[in-house]
Amino acid sequence: MAELICEERTIREINADIRRLLKEGEAITVRSPGARHNLGVALLASGEVVFDGSVGYYCAGLMDGATVRIKGSAGWGLAESMLSGEVIVEGNAGNSAGAAIRGGALVVQGDSGARTGVSMKNGLIIVSGSCGYMSGFMGQGGKMIIGGDTAEAFGDSMYETICFVGGEIADLGNDAILAESSDEDKQFLDTSLARYLPASLRANLPDAAGFKKVVSGRKLWNFKKSEWKTWEQAL
Amino acid sequence: MVLQIKVGENGQSQDGAANIIAKAAALSQPKDVATTGSYLRLTIDGSLDPLRLTAAIESASPDVEVVSMGRSLEIVKQVGSPERLEETFRISEFKGSHGIGHTRMSTESKVDLSHSQPFWAHGYPDLAIVHNGHITNYHKLRRQYEQHGVRFYTENDSEIIAVYMAQEMSRGLSLEEVLHKALIDWDGSFSCLVSTADAMGFVKDSFAHKPLLFGETDEFVAVATEEVAFRAVFSREFRVREAGAREVKVWRN
Repeated sequence: MAELICEERTIREINADIRRLLKEGEAITVRSPGARHNLGVALLASGEVVFDGSVGYYCAGLMDGATVRIKGSAGWGLAESMLSGEVIVEGNAGNSAGAAIRGGALVVQGDSGARTGVSMKNGLIIVSGSCGYMSGFMGQGGKMIIGGDTAEAFGDSMYETICFVGGEIADLGNDAILAESSDEDKQFLDTSLARYLPASLRANLPDAAGFKKVVSGRKLWNFKKSEWKTWEQAL
Repeated sequence: MVLQIKVGENGQSQDGAANIIAKAAALSQPKDVATTGSYLRLTIDGSLDPLRLTAAIESASPDVEVVSMGRSLEIVKQVGSPERLEETFRISEFKGSHGIGHTRMSTESKVDLSHSQPFWAHGYPDLAIVHNGHITNYHKLRRQYEQHGVRFYTENDSEIIAVYMAQEMSRGLSLEEVLHKALIDWDGSFSCLVSTADAMGFVKDSFAHKPLLFGETDEFVAVATEEVAFRAVFSREFRVREAGAREVKVWRN
């Protein structure tokens, strides 16, 4: 296992080293990340990267294939636009975690901030705790599992993202509706939670049947003049 | 009561300081006088009306501003790096229960001492704010206050927050109540941290536009825009959380 020390080094140097070591097939532990921004951006090879502490904004953004574990909290834009791979944060995540991801799995073991999964296209986001205001906003695909509660405007203006919520939904966003979970959904929840969350965190969550499913009501997909009222409210 | 007074934007002159002391002495003889950087620090006994005292001191010259007044509040601010603040004012030697600060990135109004943060809530002792964001109904609110005779010192939207806090707390509202009321009265984006003599609290706007995160431990509470600030100051890691939209939180001493 390779070890990188962040102190006294620029982010550019640290990231170049992470990319080089990944290519060489090394598992990497990054020491003293100091919550600095843009750590582990654009990791395009598979392999394991552990940040031994908190990271700042945009950590593991634009990533394709690596497995990133953060042993602390993460700032805004965690795993933004990820294509594939896994990002696991043991603490909390800031706003816009998993924004616009196209694949992969983002797991927040604590709480996540506002606009979690905004405009996600595909992939999976799991938040063990609660998520912030307008999470799931304009989600176009993929799945989002929130173990705890959601803040207001959950799932606003979504396309085809499917969300599951284990706790209370403060308020559904525009055109977000509750739907019945199928057996397949319950199976998916069981499998995903077992795979990505440790048993200690799973113990706080309801069983699959206790999760609420939230999808798009599809009222805002196409503009119809006769539904002007719906639009007026959404805008 | 301790007053921090900006003598001038470009350092201070002997005449300027002497003039200010004379103006203050007409109301109450300062017990202690010190000068650091562009500021004159006066200690004044008695319970004078803060607005009357401020007006008397500021009549010394148009460039003079009382930047803070209070029994437990002292504001020092500069243009430039925060490290210079330590060199000039020895912040690390300050004693107290809590402190707030902000490095302003100017976008609209000018860069000088008066436009720097924190802003004192002029006329209301021991009340100060820092703000990250943009109050978009600033001009409307300012017009309303100006019609009631409130003086503004800058062209900066953050100043309205200090004025608002002073006005609302003067009406007897608690810090919590004012921060909740602000969510109705302010438009735009804001992460705002407020300090009083015995408390510190924040409010975040309805859309969570601006970052503000905090950590609570048994020993201290820390609030910052980004976690990188905590990691630079504290050797041990502690759990931090991004504040939510419309979140209000107050800690008391």
